[in-house]
Amino acid sequence: MIAPPERHDVLSWFTSTDHKRVGILYMGTSLLFLLVAGLLAMLIRTQLARPDATLLGPEAYNAVFTLHGTAMIFLVIAPFGFGLANYLIPLQIGAPDMAFPRLNATSFWIFLFGGLTVFAGAATNDGAAASGWTAYAPLSEITVSAGTGQDMWIVGVAMVSVASIAACVNFVTTAFVLRAPGMTMWRLPIFTWEMIATSLLVFMAFPSLTATLLLLFVDRHFGGHAFDPAYGGSPILYQHLFWFFGHPEVYVMILPYFGVISEVIATFSGRPIFGYTGMVLAAFAIAGLSMGVWAHHMFTTGAVNDPFFSFVSFLIAVPTGIKFFNWIGTMWGGSIRYTTAMWYALGFLMNFLLGGVTGVMVASPPVDFQARDSYFLVAHFHYTLGGGSFFALFAAIYYWWPKVFGWFLDERLGKIGFALTFLGFNLTFMPMFFMGLFGMSRRVFTYPNTGALPGLNLVASIGAAFMLAGAIVFIANVVVSARRKVPAGDNPWHGYTLEWATTSPPPEHNFDSLPPIRSSRPLWNVEHPEAPQPP
Amino acid sequence: MHGPSWPLGGSTQASALAQDWVIFTCGALGLAALVWGLIIFAAIRFRQTKNNPEPRTQNANNTALEIAWTIAPLVIVIGLFAYTYHIEAGVEALAADAPVRVSVTGFRWGWTFAYGGGPAITGNSLHPPELVLPVGETAAVTVTSSDVIHSFWIPDMLFKRDAVPGRTSTFDLTPNRLGTYIGRCGEFCGLNHALMTFTVRVVSPEDYARWRTYEATQ
Repeated sequence: MIAPPERHDVLSWFTSTDHKRVGILYMGTSLLFLLVAGLLAMLIRTQLARPDATLLGPEAYNAVFTLHGTAMIFLVIAPFGFGLANYLIPLQIGAPDMAFPRLNATSFWIFLFGGLTVFAGAATNDGAAASGWTAYAPLSEITVSAGTGQDMWIVGVAMVSVASIAACVNFVTTAFVLRAPGMTMWRLPIFTWEMIATSLLVFMAFPSLTATLLLLFVDRHFGGHAFDPAYGGSPILYQHLFWFFGHPEVYVMILPYFGVISEVIATFSGRPIFGYTGMVLAAFAIAGLSMGVWAHHMFTTGAVNDPFFSFVSFLIAVPTGIKFFNWIGTMWGGSIRYTTAMWYALGFLMNFLLGGVTGVMVASPPVDFQARDSYFLVAHFHYTLGGGSFFALFAAIYYWWPKVFGWFLDERLGKIGFALTFLGFNLTFMPMFFMGLFGMSRRVFTYPNTGALPGLNLVASIGAAFMLAGAIVFIANVVVSARRKVPAGDNPWHGYTLEWATTSPPPEHNFDSLPPIRSSRPLWNVEHPEAPQPP
Repeated sequence: MHGPSWPLGGSTQASALAQDWVIFTCGALGLAALVWGLIIFAAIRFRQTKNNPEPRTQNANNTALEIAWTIAPLVIVIGLFAYTYHIEAGVEALAADAPVRVSVTGFRWGWTFAYGGGPAITGNSLHPPELVLPVGETAAVTVTSSDVIHSFWIPDMLFKRDAVPGRTSTFDLTPNRLGTYIGRCGEFCGLNHALMTFTVRVVSPEDYARWRTYEATQ
């Protein structure tokens, strides 16, 4: 079969099934959602800079944090990972495209319109959904949240959920069946491995989300009473169903970025990833254990077996620790080049570690009795998903940008942006541990003008201004670098995985020819033909 | 009553909870400091310089080391679990016959405190209610909600319990220090969640008896 000629007009982006284009669409869309969600966060920090601010009333404030959380979780962190996977998996395994290119494009468009549906709720009479990204019943039931915005939230998130499952079917099938000759499973790059683990989690967790949303919708409009205690329904059931999805979702938002960090640290240390097998097994251990910890979100209900969920949650620290030691082991004995991507990876290690150890803290029910739904928890999960995933997201942007577009982002502006973001992030979220311990609930539009809270909140808001400055520097970097278009060449960072074996950007069919694949680092073998072949 | 700051404690359960916080904070920060140290050491020691232009080794396996850093954290978390289990069992133990019984009902946006055989105090976000408890006596507190999920939280005493419609949940609270403590809703419940506060006034048993008598005449 002869491939149709490559098209580059605007319309072609709407019809393309090329995994690279779909990947770029996914990543670009999630960055636009990131911009919106970030600006919503700026509204939150402006409101909370002072205890008596009147910028937002409680209605508006509740909608703002609901959209911020929904966007960051469903429309930014997870889908950016899917975008990366779309772009990278075929390239890393030496395939010409994804296994199901049309399903791939379909999943992107469903995701996009799902996200737009959530935000379009803001245009309805009662405004956007305002019951938090968790939409706990009965708060999200029609008796309490009557607005159409809540319905559009349900429909929009359900669309994103379905799109995620479709995307992950593609990732797993592609990685299983389209590997180039010689690319055995145990030679897959770590990023691809992490996406397989992520996809298995999506298969198990997202159907529960879709079902929960469906039940909620039936409750709201067709008298389902699934979560209504007056009819034998249960708000606790909602929490079980939601967190059965919600906790694995946390790992759907971090495993892809563990993959990113592994690739970035290995390349810039000039070494193979330390403990490759352990790294892969740890990913699946995390995925498996994460299916058994959901009720640690429910310790304060008094309705669950706290010790069981506490113990399984503690156990996740073990494979996560393995990953940390392996990253350090990768740097050990290397010759580390401090590019912007490597700085972001280092920022990830420093921040995520605090998110991880505070995660062990809140997995202890006696600690959680105070921390649950306080700013301590807000600090904890922002250190994992903000200090972790978000930093890795930028490591990925700086690392793969030259491959995707064929030219470099400016390294000097990149490092300035990193410094501002790292400083701003820690200024913003470090005080929140104390706010929570001192008794500040999350999801509040105001707080008492006494004690330590006003000072801590002001520091957090100043930190947010630094992060905004970091974001502006990044946008400026893209504009400036796009004018200069400093050519990158095929392999600007001296990477050893297959995506660096083709041109930048790669042709539509990805590879004109492939090097022999004899290890997880085929390009290293090409460079060192004299070295003994690794297993 | 003091502004939000370091929790004061104020109940026997809070003392146990505070211990758990101390152990876990020290453990978390201690381990983090160790790993942060390793990261920073590696980041500086192995940076590319004139003296370190090339990676020294391509060896990336050390089975003994990998087993060690799997087993050591496993032992640590098992220890932490044993400790946390012990603390939680103490905090959640229920006295057979608590001298004070209070039913707490959360609603949008306020609380009702109904004493067994006694008064029911109701207040909302404009006029927060007060829960009066005698020092040194165990109060069995049963929480529920009449609309959406709320959470009965006394930050100084390091404890909250969710108020879930359609179900009750009971915990014991044994105040051990006189004083007034702020309480607030700990689960997002809509518009005035931020303002859904109450106070807890811990008084001497004599004052408590007088207060009960006074309330009975109202």
